[in-house]
Amino acid sequence: MRRKILITGATSGIGLALATRLAPRHEILATGRALKKDAEKILPANAGYIRVPQSDPLVASATIREGLRDVGWTGFHNAILVAGTGYVCEAQSEDPVRLRETLDVNLAATILIARACLPLLEKTNGRLTLIGSTAARGSSHIASYCASKAGLAGFARSLRSEWRGRVSVQILHPGPVATPMHEKAGYVPGRLGALFLSPSTMAAMLEFAVARGRSPRTLSWFRYIGGESIFGRRL
Amino acid sequence: MKALVTGGSAGLGQAFVARLLADGCDVVSLDRSTADGAANLFQINCDLGDREALDRTVPAIVTAGPYDLVIFNAGVNATGRFEDIPEDVQLRLLRINTEAPMVLAAALAGSGAMVRPSKMVFVSSLSHFTGYPGAAVYAASKDAIAIYARSIRRPLLRLGISVSCVFPGPLRTDHARRHAPENADASQRMPADDAARDILSAVRAGKATVILGKQARIVALAGRIAPRLVTWQMRRFIFEKLSATTW
Ligand SMILES: NC(=O)c1ccc[n+]([C@@H]2O[C@H](COP(=O)([O-])OP(=O)(O)OC[C@H]3O[C@@H](n4cnc5c(N)ncnc54)[C@H](OP(=O)(O)O)[C@@H]3O)[C@@H](O)[C@H]2O)c1
Repeated sequence: MRRKILITGATSGIGLALATRLAPRHEILATGRALKKDAEKILPANAGYIRVPQSDPLVASATIREGLRDVGWTGFHNAILVAGTGYVCEAQSEDPVRLRETLDVNLAATILIARACLPLLEKTNGRLTLIGSTAARGSSHIASYCASKAGLAGFARSLRSEWRGRVSVQILHPGPVATPMHEKAGYVPGRLGALFLSPSTMAAMLEFAVARGRSPRTLSWFRYIGGESIFGRRL
Repeated sequence: MKALVTGGSAGLGQAFVARLLADGCDVVSLDRSTADGAANLFQINCDLGDREALDRTVPAIVTAGPYDLVIFNAGVNATGRFEDIPEDVQLRLLRINTEAPMVLAAALAGSGAMVRPSKMVFVSSLSHFTGYPGAAVYAASKDAIAIYARSIRRPLLRLGISVSCVFPGPLRTDHARRHAPENADASQRMPADDAARDILSAVRAGKATVILGKQARIVALAGRIAPRLVTWQMRRFIFEKLSATTW
């Protein structure tokens, strides 16, 4: 079946790899904060794009609603909310502006976008996928990022129960992936970086995890050597 | 000894303030509304859901220190079906429960407003272990603050600040009564004053994780061993019984 799939944060890293992987078989609507003309240069040619900056959560959800209306989607099958940001710092010297940006982009905007997607996902008994992180367990130099991802995990757990039978809700926690996020966050992985999965491998693991619908699910290096980027069920 | 308590004018916060005053502490209470005065109580008014107001008030909070103990207690809930709760209410809940304590913790730890050694306490919820259908954004806010507390424990310990996180179950406060299903049994809930007493003694003993009472510890353990089953029970006993949307 050709699905209608919304992917946020699709202009870079994991989201872009996922959009690129799925575009030949499905109808993709990508979002990001980049201007449309810049996004179109990197996205697959047949993917749609709407600009949805998430730093103001209320604007983000309003823009998503408007964008879905404009492309004429009256229902769709998957919302995969990937957009995320974070900064490395010491807890006691964290800039409140960045702290708030991290919470707004990763947690508040994602929550409000999920809410905006409900009526259209419900029409197809569709699936909402949130992207957490293995860092949701906590880590000292990215405390706000960890908090935002843990918040998503708690949200997904409760919402999955609330929406049972209407829209299936899942959260997937990727392990480290070699994307521009680390550089944007001010983090240099050093030798450890050799263990990071590639965005396209993570995209394959994500596709299979979305097709299965289990939650919560950690997508780590161990799953990868277990063959989960090759043998999974396709969407 | 000087303590800062957020949300000190009602519920658990009021119980903290009363206990601390009785113990002979100077107490600074940060709240939207003012409570009855007392000799050693200094009140600062601020709406923690309002970013500009909080940023304007931070210097006064820092100046009123330095603190031996800080308790980030202020919190709100919003119950009902997730999609029935207005967006601005959900956003405000995240700001009060998650963002404000994080902004304040960073500001206090980074400005020398904490005595060394001192204690910093975050108040999460037992929902961290169970999930909370019927309050999905509240559950998000409380998971976020629990993991923030865990993340900063080690770096703050190096500054002489010991971080604890409390996971209260249902308390006998107005807050709990407003958000529980209509005919829920209030006698099962812990009186706020008992909770404040037990939390303060656990925090003084340096405990990182504080779960009050045997019943809550059993629930937390069950939530870890059988998360799906426990969340399903929460759905049956809370979500399916909520008759109204409340915030
Ligand atoms: N890489 C990892 O190791 C890793 C591990 C676990 C989880 N994750 C999660 O996976 C997701 C994707 O990460 P990634 O590694 O692919 O990072 P990335 O390459 O930086 O991509 C993040 C995406 O989110 C967008 N974004 C950032 N801030 C935004 C804002 N304010 N408004 C709207 N969009 C915004 C980015 O736009 P721009 O292109 O304009 O920056 C980009 O499209 C994130 O949620 C991340 O937390 C990553």
